[in-house]
Amino acid sequence: MTAPLEVRALCRRFGEVEVLKQVDLKVEAGEIHALLGPNGAGKTTLLRILAGLCDPTEGEIFIQGARSGTIGYREWRKLFSMVPSGERTSYQRLSGYENLVFFGRLYGLSRVAAKRRSGECLEMVGLADAASRRVGLYSQGMQKRLAIARALLVDPPLLLIDEATQSLDPEGARLTRVLAKDAARRGAAVLWTTQRLDEIRGFADVVTILRRGEVRFRGTVAELSGTVITRTFLIQVGAVGEAGPAELLEGLADITVAGDGHYRLSLKDGASLGATLAALVEGGIEVVACREEISDVEEAFVRITGPS
Amino acid sequence: MIDAHRPAVVEEIAKLGAFFRRNLLIAVSYRMAFIADWFNLVLQLVIFSLVGRLVDPARIPEIGGRAISYVEFVTVGIALMSFVQIALSRVLSAIRQEQLIGTLDFLLTTPMAPTTLQIGLVVYDLFYVPIRTGVFLALASLFFDISLNPSGLLPALVIMLAFIPFVWGLGMISSAATLTFRRGTGVVGLITAAFTILSAAYIPLEALPGWARAFASVNPFTLALTSAREVLLGGAGWAPVGRAVSVFLPLAAVSVAIGVFSFRLAMRRERRLGTLGGY
Repeated sequence: MTAPLEVRALCRRFGEVEVLKQVDLKVEAGEIHALLGPNGAGKTTLLRILAGLCDPTEGEIFIQGARSGTIGYREWRKLFSMVPSGERTSYQRLSGYENLVFFGRLYGLSRVAAKRRSGECLEMVGLADAASRRVGLYSQGMQKRLAIARALLVDPPLLLIDEATQSLDPEGARLTRVLAKDAARRGAAVLWTTQRLDEIRGFADVVTILRRGEVRFRGTVAELSGTVITRTFLIQVGAVGEAGPAELLEGLADITVAGDGHYRLSLKDGASLGATLAALVEGGIEVVACREEISDVEEAFVRITGPS
Repeated sequence: MIDAHRPAVVEEIAKLGAFFRRNLLIAVSYRMAFIADWFNLVLQLVIFSLVGRLVDPARIPEIGGRAISYVEFVTVGIALMSFVQIALSRVLSAIRQEQLIGTLDFLLTTPMAPTTLQIGLVVYDLFYVPIRTGVFLALASLFFDISLNPSGLLPALVIMLAFIPFVWGLGMISSAATLTFRRGTGVVGLITAAFTILSAAYIPLEALPGWARAFASVNPFTLALTSAREVLLGGAGWAPVGRAVSVFLPLAAVSVAIGVFSFRLAMRRERRLGTLGGY
């Protein structure tokens, strides 16, 4: 079956600067594909090229099997919808509802269908109560949700989402991820760029990491996590025995007080987390909780995108 | 969800309706600007009526064998040139505004023909400006002792309708320049002012210096003005319409063709450079 999005050997130069270098990417139907990368990695340029706002220097793009350049821009743009990264991408003097009706009609919906669908999408993103309010009076988060509602007006085979959760509160971000998941469940391929590494766990099916325009990693979130073994943890302890934690962990880990019953644990080479925790428990220390101090995804990201 | 059965042309025309509604709602939301526009128009008329007291009536050319006042002469000039100014500047400022408020990028990701975008940005003005001109002329004839020939209204409308595409073509060229150079308002303002001064809008041709008269005689704006005056003030009926239309139609074809071509060229250049939507 043809993948909704396939990018082959894509390059983009701005003068002497190579922003994208031989990028290959494939997003299958029903898949959420997270595109990660530090600032300047080329994520937004890639999305702008996919949306037809910028020409590639070299390479090929296929959406639903159609190669860019072989069909008109009008037909090309029927194959996807986009949530741009900017905060203000709607008309500030119009209500959220009127904005959606306008864009719905640009997507080819009849007036009746555009009105109906606009109401449904506003409901979906939790803006039904603010439907008749001018967008200029919306908060940044509400404007972002409106942009998401706009992308959902027509169920396209491909959704390009650029930093959708950037200015959203945790609940808004969660809702946005749920909406993207729903779209994927309906069969859409979702390309999701983000800087929020914490959100891809349990959400993205596939991750691509770009660094200076090059693909540095491609795989599942589990595969990404597997590229590092976390060595630093925060533990919360209850009762402490006669021996202090530092004495018990001699040779296993370095431990420092992090405050309020918490300790920072750095495993020494060769030591395992299980053995270290067992040493504490055997020494009469009650370990209430243990968690990674830096998420493994973040650690993997830093390792992949850090200076080589 | 998209109605695939509708022919592309019908779909694109329906989008123009959406643009019209959007621009109408935005215009209505700026109530003060709307009122100020009308106030400014009437104020111009008041100023020119006062200036008219200083002008020797003998220096105003007769139209259709009838002696006319300076206010009558200039009313048609104000009406037509304010129409030209709006038609020219709105195309340009519409693109610029979309760039500045950040909506141009998104508009360009929607499935829309470039021509739909170009017409869509000004479709509201294509309706509003002729209505504004008509209402202005009606108010002027009511309150400023200007005797407009009612039988000239329809021929004047035809002249304007033939003239609109020509001006719109110029507007498209200026919008292409805005896409490319970002700021073009000053240049367009200058060109509009030059065309206005050198077209007998406010000053009779006979009062212009020789070089200016030579330019004015080949300026299409002059033909629009003299034809409109002949039908509205001179009672010339349909006679000037044929001449005006026969000149404006080929000019419009050329200006629209250059406009469409230059706009597409500008879009292609922006996509190649990757600067589309930037300001």
